[in-house]
Amino acid sequence: MSGVTDPERVYSAEELAAAAPPDEPEPAPAPDETLTPEQRAENARRAEQDRRDRQLVRRLKQGDEAAFRELVHTYQNRIFSLMLRMIGNRQEAEDLAQEVFIIVYRAIGNYRGEGRFYTWLYRVASNTCKNRIKYLKGRNFHRSLDIDETPQAQMPAAETGAVITFQSQVPGPEAVTEGMRMEKIVQRELAALDPDHRLLIVLRDVQGMSYQDIIKITGLQEGTLKSRLHRARLALKERLEPFMR
Amino acid sequence: MAEPETDNAEALMSAYLDEELDAEGKSKLEAMLATSPAAQKELSGLQNMLRLVKGLPEEQAPPDFYEKVAKKIRRRRWLRGEYLIALALPFQIINVLVILAVAVVYMMLHLDVDVAGRKLERDPTVQQAKPPATPAP
Repeated sequence: MSGVTDPERVYSAEELAAAAPPDEPEPAPAPDETLTPEQRAENARRAEQDRRDRQLVRRLKQGDEAAFRELVHTYQNRIFSLMLRMIGNRQEAEDLAQEVFIIVYRAIGNYRGEGRFYTWLYRVASNTCKNRIKYLKGRNFHRSLDIDETPQAQMPAAETGAVITFQSQVPGPEAVTEGMRMEKIVQRELAALDPDHRLLIVLRDVQGMSYQDIIKITGLQEGTLKSRLHRARLALKERLEPFMR
Repeated sequence: MAEPETDNAEALMSAYLDEELDAEGKSKLEAMLATSPAAQKELSGLQNMLRLVKGLPEEQAPPDFYEKVAKKIRRRRWLRGEYLIALALPFQIINVLVILAVAVVYMMLHLDVDVAGRKLERDPTVQQAKPPATPAP
């Protein structure tokens, strides 16, 4: 986001809205004959979503509040989920996701319709999130993850027999409980990573985004992105190893 | 772990985890794994970690999420002195209100003009009907 690049400074919502980046033209998609049927179907779905988003943005720019409502409903779960995985606190994540849509509402004039709305929205979201992390760090914010804090719950896998998937193959109350416990542990360790590492893991491995989309969102070069993501994965692996069998 | 820390090993592992490795890359990775137990351990750990991370569910925003966003926008516009009503009402209702307001202004401007466009005279009987002034005691 141009104008809000100072890594030390916490920006206000007004500054974030004023500095929301313009979108950039997207490269043309690969020719159809080189794609698998699944990739073609995915491209068609994306094209339809982009067309719909552009229509909604055009209506929003004309002052149509119903279009804004539809945009929020379309993306609210993805943005809320992104914030929850980044911050690790439900209340804070909800507040932050709301802030993202408020910035979008106020800065929609900066979106020119040349790139995908989806990646522009995520750029706004990731910048807003990093800004809030700086703010919370300054206020010594402690994440309240509602994690089971009993000593037994914190024992490594070797002692408790922790499973490596959230729910065992055999369904049952114990498997469900164990799955929930592991989910909380993963969330906690994820939220303890460096914010840049955290963002890459959430975008790529939790939300399943393509490298091209992540490049658009973060502005990183492909080589840098892959190398940084690998380091992020190794860091998370180190943190989770005591809990994995 | 000398081998897996090289750029090549890192790129191979990343591509393998992203399911983007071609046949040639796969044989290179297999050759590397065959000679390096450390690389095997690292790859296995990464796979386990990814299985956990990819299993995190997409969280649902609260059902009243949009209403809260709209409320915050209204509050901030109001604090900045903008019109509160702009977001509070649906677009269609705002349209009707604007049309009604224009109609009322038009009617007010033309109250003293008859259908033919002539200015109406004041009714003289209205003045006559005035109550007589009360005599001083």
